[in-house]
Order: sequence, then C-alpha cells, then structure tokens
Amino acid sequence: MQLDSFRRACVALVSLGIVSLGLQAPAVAGVVSTAEAVAAARGENPRAVVDAAMARADVQGKLAELGVDAAAIEGRLAALSEQEVAKLAAQIESAPAGGDALAVIGIVFVVLIILELVGVIDIFKKA
Amino acid sequence: MIRLRLAGVALAALLAGCAASPPLRDGLPAAAPRAIALDGTPFFPQEDFQCGPAALATLLVASGVDVTPEALAPEVFIPGRKGSLSLELIGAARRHGRLPYVLATTADEMVAELESGRPVLVLQNLGAGPLPAWHYAVLIGYDAERNVALLRSGSEQRLEMKWQRFAGTWHRGGRFALTTLPPGEIPAHATPARYLEAVAGLEAAGQRQAASAAYDAAIARWPEEPLAWLGRANVALAAGDREVAADAYLRAIELEPGNAAARNNLAELLLGAGCLEESRRQVERAAVLAAGTTLEAAVAESRARIRATRASVSRCALEGRDWPD
Repeated sequence: MQLDSFRRACVALVSLGIVSLGLQAPAVAGVVSTAEAVAAARGENPRAVVDAAMARADVQGKLAELGVDAAAIEGRLAALSEQEVAKLAAQIESAPAGGDALAVIGIVFVVLIILELVGVIDIFKKA
Repeated sequence: MIRLRLAGVALAALLAGCAASPPLRDGLPAAAPRAIALDGTPFFPQEDFQCGPAALATLLVASGVDVTPEALAPEVFIPGRKGSLSLELIGAARRHGRLPYVLATTADEMVAELESGRPVLVLQNLGAGPLPAWHYAVLIGYDAERNVALLRSGSEQRLEMKWQRFAGTWHRGGRFALTTLPPGEIPAHATPARYLEAVAGLEAAGQRQAASAAYDAAIARWPEEPLAWLGRANVALAAGDREVAADAYLRAIELEPGNAAARNNLAELLLGAGCLEESRRQVERAAVLAAGTTLEAAVAESRARIRATRASVSRCALEGRDWPD
C-alpha cells in the first residue's frame, strides 16, 4: 500500500516534469492512442504508459550523458511512441550503433600483420 | 606451415562473413528482375562515424525530402556511442514527414522494395564475434548474374559486394532493413498489422497530417481493418473533427464489436461533445470489453473520470445519431 502510493507519487512527479518540459502528451486526455491499441492487439506491455513516463526521463538522462546536445533531446524523443521510448531506455547502451566501420577493420588488419610478423600466420607472403 | 596458412585463410573467410547463404540467383523470387540498379539514388559520402545520417539522408532525399546528413546528425548521432541507433533513424524519418517502415527479415522484401523504386537502408556488421563493426549502408540494387549487391556505403558511391558477403553482414547485423515512404504509399509486401504499427508511430510523433493520409491509404487497401478506422478516428479527434472521428469509431466497432479502444475513445468523444449520458453507457461497455486485457487500466481511468463528471447544462453536440449497443 505504501509502496503503491510511493510509486504513484514518483509517476506523478516524473509526469509533471515531462509535461512541464513540453514533451509528448496525449492529444486528447483519456484516449487510447493508436500505438497503444496496436500494441494491445499483440498482447504487449500492459503498463506501457506508466513505464514510458519513467523511461522518457531515463532516456533523457542517458542521452545527455552520452554527449547529445540537451536542446536536441526533447525533439528526438518526441518522435518516438511510448513503446519505443521504453525500448530505447532498455537498449541505449547495448543496441548496435551504426558508425564507422573503418576503425575496426583497421584493428583487424593490424592484428593480422602482427600475427604475420611473429610467424603465426602466413597469408601475406607470395607463394 | 600449411596448417597455419589454412588457419589464416579460415580467419579471413570468417572476417569476410562467408555465411552459408546461397548465391543470389538461387534465392531470388522467380518473378523478380535479374538485375536492378537505382542509379538515380543520391549519394552522401559519410564523415567520421556519420554513416547513420548519411544513409538516412540518402533514403529521405530519394523519397522527396530536402535534407542533408549535416542537418540529420543532431537528430540521430550519439557521440558517446560513436554512432546512431536504428530507433532514432526511425524517429528522424518521422520528423521529416516520411513513413519509416521496417521490412521483414527476409531478403524478398528488400528485393520487392527495390522493384518499387525504393532504396533500402540496412544495418551491417562488418566485423565478427567479439569485434563487431556496425555500419549503415543503402542497398540500391543487385545483379543476379554477377552475384553482387549494389550499395551506397561510406565513401563509396557504388560499392559492389559479393551477395553472400552482403547477406552475411546483414544477417550478423540483426537483419534490420528500413524504407521510408511518402505518406499514402504502401510498401510492396505490407501487412495491415505492420503497416498500421508504422503509421501509429508517425501519429505518436505528432505528424497528424501525414498519419491521416497514411490511415486513408490503409482504409482504401484494407477497408475491413478496424485498427485503420481507429487510427483515422484518433487523428480526427485530435484535430477537433468530431463528426469524422465519430463515424470512424462507429465503423471500427461495427467491424470489431469487441474493440475496447474504439469504445473507450468513443466515450471520450461523447464526453467532450457534452453527451454525458451516452458517454457513460459507452465507457461501461468499454470497461467490460477491456476486463482482463492490456487496456484494462487505461479504460478504468476513463471510466472513473467520466463517472465523476457532473451533468452540465450544455446540450449534446452530436444529437440524432445511433450509438452502438
């Protein structure tokens, strides 16, 4: 019971923060969004809305930690549905971040050259 | 020495990603063209770590948006990860009024999109095992006879990659493939569920007009799909168009009498229109339908609020209609 009211207080606080930041709020209060209905049709995440309110604040902090310009974060998160923000919160540090492959290919090349030089492999020499 | 040489070759093969996928001509759908090259696709050579913005710009410009990788970088790039996440590429596409659509994890859908003239953004893992190297590129075609994939990739305007190597790197990248469409266009192999999920995301991003056009297209293609009508209704209600919204909710309920979301939202619409009595009746029905489903909590909240609303003196703005039982 106490936990429940604590949880509610947390949610209220976070929600207030989000609303005051002008982040995505339901267009009409009480309306089940199409994204929610689509998720429900698949039998997904019953507490999506409550969790997403927390997730939004969570992702916001993580993006700032990872060097994203604070002014840009709001707009970036506003482009995602509640379900997607929750997903992002869970994956932000682990999901594949497509970047520059050349660095890693360079490392592999260096490793191959070292192996070649110390005589473990022999793939660069001509027959 | 020979054994070591073999080990080296095996290592090189592993790094090259020679997975056990067949040559392209064996895997190509029978009706597909033997070769496609979308040579008109724009090209943005990537800067350091910026293959996400470059690949996304390639897609967006190809679908008619005026944008550059430099403009997209602040919308998708994460400095601490030295890269971009696919979810954020999806978000950025929405911000520019396009419908991002994640393709199924088979190459057939990529081929079908290319056939429709749409390039496909792919996530590749160019590394292996403990040394992954995540990279976004854009598939612009293939040639079955020469067994190659054609890519806009990094600083290469036209990279030809052996099909098996392409398929292997894509497989290790988690088979993520994305197209972006002008709202109203429907992907070649779209299913109602996946298409409407994509449109609901566009709606959630606040792109009401684009979402509305996409729901209209869905209704034209799948007129019996209740979620398409629910989407149209939600967009109309958010825009303040109660008549259109009411018609669409009624159609959704007619098609799927057990749809708790449509009932709940109809009750909210009626409440907003001052039709308290009917709103109460509908939300009670919604609560019964939602019991035990994932929407139970959301509907309970509406019900509590509607029950607590006092009758007002204003008249119901939606008189003269028949509401569903």
